[in-house]
Amino acid sequence: METLTLLELNGRVRITLQHEMPEPCWVQAEISGLNPTGQGHCYMELVEKDPSGRTFLAKAKANVWRTVWLRLKPYFEAQTGESLKVGMKVLLLVSVTFHEVYGYSLTVQDIDPTYTIGDMARRRREILERLEREGVIGLNRELEIPLLPHRIAVISSATAAGYGDFRNQLSGNVYGYRFYVKLFPALMQGEEVERSVIAAMDAVAARRDDFDVLVIIRGGGAVSELSCFDSYDIAVNIANFPLPVITGIGHERDDTVADTVAHTKVKTPTAAAGFLIDRMFETASVLENMTRRLGDAVSGRMETERLRIERIAQKLPSLYAVVKVRHEQMIENLWNRAVSGVRNMLTAHLHRLELMEKGIGAADPVLILKRGYTLTRCNGHAVKSASDLRKGDRITSVFPDGTVESEII
Amino acid sequence: MKYEEALKRLEEIVSGIEENKLDIDRIGESLKEARELIKSCRDKLYKTDEEIKKILETED
Repeated sequence: METLTLLELNGRVRITLQHEMPEPCWVQAEISGLNPTGQGHCYMELVEKDPSGRTFLAKAKANVWRTVWLRLKPYFEAQTGESLKVGMKVLLLVSVTFHEVYGYSLTVQDIDPTYTIGDMARRRREILERLEREGVIGLNRELEIPLLPHRIAVISSATAAGYGDFRNQLSGNVYGYRFYVKLFPALMQGEEVERSVIAAMDAVAARRDDFDVLVIIRGGGAVSELSCFDSYDIAVNIANFPLPVITGIGHERDDTVADTVAHTKVKTPTAAAGFLIDRMFETASVLENMTRRLGDAVSGRMETERLRIERIAQKLPSLYAVVKVRHEQMIENLWNRAVSGVRNMLTAHLHRLELMEKGIGAADPVLILKRGYTLTRCNGHAVKSASDLRKGDRITSVFPDGTVESEII
Repeated sequence: MKYEEALKRLEEIVSGIEENKLDIDRIGESLKEARELIKSCRDKLYKTDEEIKKILETED
């Protein structure tokens, strides 16, 4: 058995590897370390874990030399909207190298971003499925945005251009609506996003009565770094949040998990402000409409009443005329009755007078004398009985045409 | 009164007048109430509420 120096041994390993694996190959791995250097290279740590994610099954160093890194980094970011980071699954074209001093390592020649995109999508799907199973996925969407969403809690980084856009858009709205914005600062990029956003949400939730909505916005960075919003913890906080959550975290590709569980998602901070202004516009329109209706209703009602009174007023003369005619007839009737009553009375009296006149006529002595009777007088008195006369009395018989003196014998 | 409540009350008054449910003698009164409600709603939309401003400016 031969004895080799370490250099000789390592040299043989290098030659064997070069011989056995002359061509580069595609390898799937998770990034567990990422160190860009001042010279423009990038050193990576790659791992493969068991399904539980706790145990390493394999590990390797990978180097991306400057010329490759300068091309690969922007390409990857443009394709995925993400920058390479720890925890990300990648598909890399690598050649296997062995260096007598530095040992085994991989040299990265290319990257396939579709693999990472697919992995992120799978992860999002898994989180969404979990939220669905837990029955929280639609909770925030069930909340109603108040009619007057003007007290706005904002989670963003204070320096982000997106936050400035949001504020300017709100304060410069052409309708003159008033908004009250309070910023709860959080890191929106990097490793700390999840913890920082959740802490800010807790701070808002503690003052929930002071606000109508929560807006989570970001924007301004070259790379969108959205995968931090594909977080189960952020999503579950949004879903259970006591106020409607509006996300405007800026992206062109598929929604993040945070967007999916939010009450309303828009693409940019400016669009988030636009959404709130539109809500206020709707509210203001309802009010203006109500004001118009009130005016119409009151004048309509007054018009109805006026017409009613007018109708009654118009009816009055004709009603009066009817009454007048009726009364006139009544009066005429009465008059007629009175006249005929008087006439009847007079006739009756006349009749009676006539009768009386007749009676009086029958008693006239002249008329009686004319019928052949005579009136006998003695000593100036009318003689009504034969026994009143004695022998020798002188009597006067009165005839209609004269008197005759006689003596009783 | 909250904006939502004010709007609801306003709706009651307006439909009351529209549907002739309100006594004519009380229309003046209702109109006054409605005008006040509209004003308070408009103020909430367009005027700065110093109280809200103060609450939101206080630091945690």
